[in-house]
Amino acid sequence: MSVRPKVREDHPFLLSTAPVSRAQSRAASGVLGLLGAAMLVTVPFAQVPIDNSQVLVPAYAIAVFIVDLITAALLLAMYSVQRSRAVLALAIGYLFSGAMVLPWALTFPGVAQSLGLPEAGLQTTAAIATLRRLGFPLLVLAYALMKETDPDPQHALESERRVIAGTVAAVIAIVGGLTWLVLTSEDALPRFMQDENRVTAHWRYVPVSAMALCGAGLFALWVRRRCVLDIWLMVVLCTLLIEIILLAYLSSGRLSIGWWAGRLFGVVSASIVLVVLLAETMTLYARLARSILAERRARETRLTALGALSATIAHEINQPLASMVTNANAGLRWLGRPDPDLAEVRAALERIVDDGHRSASVIEGIRAMFKKGTQERVCVNVNDLVTDIIRRDLSEAKLGRITMQTDLDPHLPAVTGNPVQLQQVISNLVANAIDALSNVTDRERLLRVRSSQSDADHVLVSVEDSGTGLDPALRERIFEPFQTTKTDGMGMGLMFCRSVIEAHGGRIWVMDNAPNGAIFRFTLPSAEELMSLTGEATP
Amino acid sequence: MSTDRPLVIIVDDDPSMRMSIESLLRSVGHAVQSFASTQEFMQGAQLDAPGCLVLDIRLPGRSGLEFQRELASREVELPIVFITGHGDVPMSVAAMKAGAIEFLTKPFRDQDLLDAVHRGLELDSQRRSEAAMLAELSQRRETLTPREREVMALVVAGRLNKQIAAELDLSEATVKVHRAQVMRKMEAKSLPDLVRFADSLALDTTRS
Repeated sequence: MSVRPKVREDHPFLLSTAPVSRAQSRAASGVLGLLGAAMLVTVPFAQVPIDNSQVLVPAYAIAVFIVDLITAALLLAMYSVQRSRAVLALAIGYLFSGAMVLPWALTFPGVAQSLGLPEAGLQTTAAIATLRRLGFPLLVLAYALMKETDPDPQHALESERRVIAGTVAAVIAIVGGLTWLVLTSEDALPRFMQDENRVTAHWRYVPVSAMALCGAGLFALWVRRRCVLDIWLMVVLCTLLIEIILLAYLSSGRLSIGWWAGRLFGVVSASIVLVVLLAETMTLYARLARSILAERRARETRLTALGALSATIAHEINQPLASMVTNANAGLRWLGRPDPDLAEVRAALERIVDDGHRSASVIEGIRAMFKKGTQERVCVNVNDLVTDIIRRDLSEAKLGRITMQTDLDPHLPAVTGNPVQLQQVISNLVANAIDALSNVTDRERLLRVRSSQSDADHVLVSVEDSGTGLDPALRERIFEPFQTTKTDGMGMGLMFCRSVIEAHGGRIWVMDNAPNGAIFRFTLPSAEELMSLTGEATP
Repeated sequence: MSTDRPLVIIVDDDPSMRMSIESLLRSVGHAVQSFASTQEFMQGAQLDAPGCLVLDIRLPGRSGLEFQRELASREVELPIVFITGHGDVPMSVAAMKAGAIEFLTKPFRDQDLLDAVHRGLELDSQRRSEAAMLAELSQRRETLTPREREVMALVVAGRLNKQIAAELDLSEATVKVHRAQVMRKMEAKSLPDLVRFADSLALDTTRS
């Protein structure tokens, strides 16, 4: 069976996976319209210079820096949940853009002077601006191109913390390196500026290539637009386009009204994704809280239903049982009389026989009820089941600060069985382990699922946790019904696991984990083994 | 079946359970009658016959507890032994408060049921003999003349003949004659006997 659902289905509530609603599209077009109109309004004044306004450059830079950094942090958080390399690329884009704005502002003519720093070369600022202006759309384009091929499950299990730390370090190193390069090789830089505020003919290649990159990004996003993030990134790229047009074609060089308007558009474009991310996060958070509530209610209903069911079963079995006891007592008393009444004894015994049959049929009925649809047996790859469950429980484990590890034997033979039931068994064991880890505070919360071939024809699966472990007295009875260590448990889960595993011809047991916790293990006969045992061909 | 032999009545909808209890009670010599429902019981049973009721609490239609209340409202004072499939504490408390003899959880020990039934029958017969005695006493009192009743009231209040004579404005000899008549008609052998009779009658009048 196929156990590789699209990741999209696993995280339907993330901004990078949530489908676009009509309202979202309308809002995006609205914002775009407003920005376009704002650009047109500035056109008549674009050439007017604002003298000595370079003192505002650091303020502008700090705003862009902070907004970009927060956006990058949010995107990295999104990456850690979704493990999408495309989102990582986008985060790098924002990080890069945010980090590059600092050297840009510090080397801006007049700024370094006012801050008491040595004045940089004439071409430095323009070179940094070029890198920044080309780097960001390039990474957005990378996002658009990578988002369809995301991600692979193996990749999903490696530590996202390491990836994020590596990424941040790399971006800082690159920005630092580029800045150093630009600062030290002033003479090798292309001549973009003829004086502090006016550009040379060389410069015109920069906005053209930046616009080309934006256009390519827009095209790629348009073709592959799937999620809310895509739509707003298109708005961002459009804003960037407007910014470039204002800066390069409408303004009369640095520090004119058109140039400042372009800068303003830069801040707006940097903020758009941040605002959308925050707004969406709040909405999704509220939705999540609601669905958790609903889930809890459903669970309570299920527990109540289970309680009612077991009460009914108890009554159905107890009735013939009570009758048998009373009939046997009556029979004994008829026998114990001075003149034993054998006819009465016989009648009592016959009623006992009837009661025995009656209770057997009650039990048969219950079994039939639970057996419905469990006959279906197919070839199952246990590793697929484990991977599936781990992926599904990943976010819950992450919430509980639990490290999940798998150690799966790639050459594991297939088993024959009911995939749904086997999946429930593994899922039960993993859920138990997560519960057991939830009150561990003094050590790492570790959950490991292993699969291996225990002997020539058996598959062994173990679920190990570093939780509190099991009371030895309870360990003997843990698989019996109504045995539970949880305050709200029914004590049905492990009983279910055992009955499923045994019905599949396997065995389940529990042992202590060293130094802490418990290990639940079960074996299943491999498909070939089962075939030779039953002498039947499996489908 | 003679009317003074106490009857144990079983109401349980489960036929096998009903027959088993019936058999058990018969094996120790009880007269038994059983019904599958409370409706059948109301139609078929002699409600005022001496006996005891074994009632399943989980019955189709009406619960055993409701039925207990209905019997009480009809002034049927049959002692009730409840049996139940699930030992529900609040339910058993309610049943016991409403005057049940015992509350047994299935499967119960046979001796527990027999003891409870025995206790119920004893209670019933005691109640019946008390009621019979009371009826007898009030009948006897009916035969007293008004003057004799006045004398009796003062006698049981502990007054001496002389005091009674003074109070009722009679001669002491007349009081003595009335007093002898009272003792004879009430069939009291001694003064304490008479006081006891008067107490029972007074208790009865305050209760009703």
